[in-house]
Amino acid sequence: MKKELTIDMLAAVKRPDRYTGGEFGSIVKKDAEVRMALAFPDVYEVGMSYLGFKILYHLVNKMDGIAAERVYAPWVDMEKLMRERGVVLTTLETKQALSELDAVGFTLQYELSYTNILNMLDLGGVTVRKAERRDDEPLVLVGGPCVFNPEPLADFIDLALIGDGEEALPEVLEALRQWKEEGRPGGRKGFLHRAQQIPGIYVPEFYEPEYNGDGTLARMKVTDPAAPACVEKRVVADLNKVDFPTAPVVPFGEIVHDRIMLEMFRGCSRGCRFCHAGMVYRPVRERRPEVLREVAHRQVDNTGYDEISLVSLSTADYSCLPCFLDTMIADFRSRDVSVSLPSLRIDAFSVDIAKKVQVVRKSGLTFAPEAGSQRMRDIINKGVTEEDLMNAVSGAFENGWSKVKLYFMIGLPGETDEDVLAIARLARKVQWKYKEITGHGGCQVTVSTASFVPKPYTAFQWVPQDTLDEIRRKQRLLIEALRVKNITFQYHDSQTSIMEGVFARGDRRLGKALYLAWKAGESFDGWGDQFRYDRWQQALQEAGVDPDFYNHRLRGETERFPWEHLQPGVSRAFLAREYARAKEQMLTKDCRQGKCNGCGVCQKLGVPVVDYSGHAYDASAEPKFVPAAERTASVRKALRAAAAAAGYDLLAPAVAQVAAATAYKAAGTPAAEGVAE
Amino acid sequence: MKLRFRITKDKEIRFISHLEYLRTIGRAFRRARLPVAYSQGFNPHMKFSLASALGVGVVSQAEYVELELTEPVVPAKAAEAFAKALPRGIRVLDYDAADDHARALMAAAGGAGYRVTVPCAGSVEQAEAAVAQFNAAPELFFEKAAPKAKKKVKRIDVKQYIHRLAVGTAEITGEAARDAKARGETALVFTFDIRITPGGSMKAVDLLNTLREAYGLDLAVVRADIERVSLYRVGPDGTHLPLLDNKAVCR
Repeated sequence: MKKELTIDMLAAVKRPDRYTGGEFGSIVKKDAEVRMALAFPDVYEVGMSYLGFKILYHLVNKMDGIAAERVYAPWVDMEKLMRERGVVLTTLETKQALSELDAVGFTLQYELSYTNILNMLDLGGVTVRKAERRDDEPLVLVGGPCVFNPEPLADFIDLALIGDGEEALPEVLEALRQWKEEGRPGGRKGFLHRAQQIPGIYVPEFYEPEYNGDGTLARMKVTDPAAPACVEKRVVADLNKVDFPTAPVVPFGEIVHDRIMLEMFRGCSRGCRFCHAGMVYRPVRERRPEVLREVAHRQVDNTGYDEISLVSLSTADYSCLPCFLDTMIADFRSRDVSVSLPSLRIDAFSVDIAKKVQVVRKSGLTFAPEAGSQRMRDIINKGVTEEDLMNAVSGAFENGWSKVKLYFMIGLPGETDEDVLAIARLARKVQWKYKEITGHGGCQVTVSTASFVPKPYTAFQWVPQDTLDEIRRKQRLLIEALRVKNITFQYHDSQTSIMEGVFARGDRRLGKALYLAWKAGESFDGWGDQFRYDRWQQALQEAGVDPDFYNHRLRGETERFPWEHLQPGVSRAFLAREYARAKEQMLTKDCRQGKCNGCGVCQKLGVPVVDYSGHAYDASAEPKFVPAAERTASVRKALRAAAAAAGYDLLAPAVAQVAAATAYKAAGTPAAEGVAE
Repeated sequence: MKLRFRITKDKEIRFISHLEYLRTIGRAFRRARLPVAYSQGFNPHMKFSLASALGVGVVSQAEYVELELTEPVVPAKAAEAFAKALPRGIRVLDYDAADDHARALMAAAGGAGYRVTVPCAGSVEQAEAAVAQFNAAPELFFEKAAPKAKKKVKRIDVKQYIHRLAVGTAEITGEAARDAKARGETALVFTFDIRITPGGSMKAVDLLNTLREAYGLDLAVVRADIERVSLYRVGPDGTHLPLLDNKAVCR
């Protein structure tokens, strides 16, 4: 087996630093009983920017005798050389081929990275199709956001980790060590039987879909007596209690997010109806400001980075943000470290925040109204008005910004041409606002549109995606309407959006098409220049699957979906209600600002929203904190009682939350309001 | 106060670009919390520099970095902190200190020693003959494409930079050995010095290209393992003097 990337190979490719490792903070464990790869199905600089793997790399490598190593997809130039010379794909740390490891874990960030998973397995010497894989080959794991529908990958994976990985992955690896130590009883199947007993672990081969005559799912048959009918996601109840990396790997070359990433909280309760992350990462769980501050200091010490990005799904919603920002900026000013936010909410508050964090450089500000017309924004439950946007950009212009980037989606359900053109009108209004405030023109507006892709576990999981022609027609409408001085219009490739749509709500029958497409040479589909629609069409045809069935069909109200045996906790009744409200253009408020909307997550998972609002940050007086287990247990108990008393529907959350709040108050925690809302 | 370090660029990170190497050193200074001086202006940057840029893919035992400090430090302690803050693949071999007005190392460097191991499809005798010819030649011109202008070529007299070279053989090791054997190649080892002048210098790899072109030596230049082994000042009489010449302060 050839493993070495020779001098002439490295000299011939772009960015050779992608392949050589040895970065500061990388962890080489020469002796380990169990060795796994955290495999990112894209190039180094993209994969190295992924926070999830920074967290897991740190956590797993803290375990005794267990090693996590990194591997990324070689870019096409290197892949070509490797295939020509028979060089196998290895990890960066100990340069072992993927086939020599105990497990290879891929993250599913994006549907169009699936061909890269197949390709990396193949390059790493691992048999691509699970049915043909030998018993001594590594286990193939997946996790990440798209894991809530891993069915198109069922032919290739052994198990999926549903939900937060901080606790589940160490448990799987511990079980793997045990099984290995015992001499691999029962072979691969033997391990899978053990693994499925771990909460949050899904073993696809223990399930078999049965289809109706019209191609829809009849049921997901459980073929193993011990397998649960439904796998509920894992959720870390208290993020303060799990280790956050304090010494992440510092790359030599520039990566996409080349800075410290501080995860403020997980989850988002805004309830945008198109948003997958907003549903599957619930409930919102914040980290304590003092914990974040401590982690930030240690990361600056250990990395030498000069920028900290406060990341989350919606950082402006962090309950203690203003105080926390002031503290952070004061802390780090003397160390020449800047603090930044990845995105801004559309309001004046966010512009005030931006003023604080952008003390040095004034680049453009980015806002995401998502839709051009109020009608559409109400349909998607964006909860933002044109006035909000105008206030936000006014604030920006008054403070010296002259560049604005606006993100939109086209192809949202119920969209008319009027709604599409409203995007252009909004961009013009932003320019006029600039002129009104500054008295002159010259405001640079970039309009960027993505094509809406319906995702599982969202209110729009039933809706058809726009056809290719329709997306293109709408893009042309905007190209015409945005031929305006100082407006730049960018839009996503329509063909990749179509394929993303097919796989997002796909099922196991797509596995064959995926395999054929990869065989035909598809990889890096997310990179427009590598994606070939005709090859995909061909593969789908050869596999005998109709892509339109997956993305252009209005799904029936009672249709079973191939992802519903994997549960993020959000109830189908809630999603259906949200879909109905969307049709009526009715808004649903953030549950942190009003009443519980009955999405069902807190109750089902027994994990409450963790929000520290109302408690000004004071590092000197650390508030008392109830251990997670204790707290969760008391909430669970209260919930069970409430559910029994009230019947498990809309009423239950309200009762349960009162009970939870009571439990909190009894325990003397200051977080009671945050939970009770 | 200025601190000066002799550091390495080991095999495992040989393909880190010059810019990436600089970034890595800068971050290591921050991790080591050395009181590095910053430039004034809109985009302040740390005041440190390398004595001589190294080509991508070249291993080095002799990288010299000097940095300006805002306050005095104990050199030994600073060197220890710096060494700890560096990734594997960069080691601190030596250090000294100088005052702010000391001549910049970049200006002081007058030459560099190299060792190049390169597979060759020809015989050792052929190589020895070529080396003898090279050493005897009064001048030897090499034309290379100018880096930025596409069609322009730059004509350099190799002998102006490299006076003499020596050749020996080595054993090819690792996975490459099998391929080399199959190709019937032997590994040649060239050792030589390249002058660094105020007007410029030349790359080691271009010597190999010159030997190919001028003497028809069948060198596998793309597989050459190039290593910089030294960097030095040149005395008035041509002797090689160490760059770190102020070690007394460290004791």
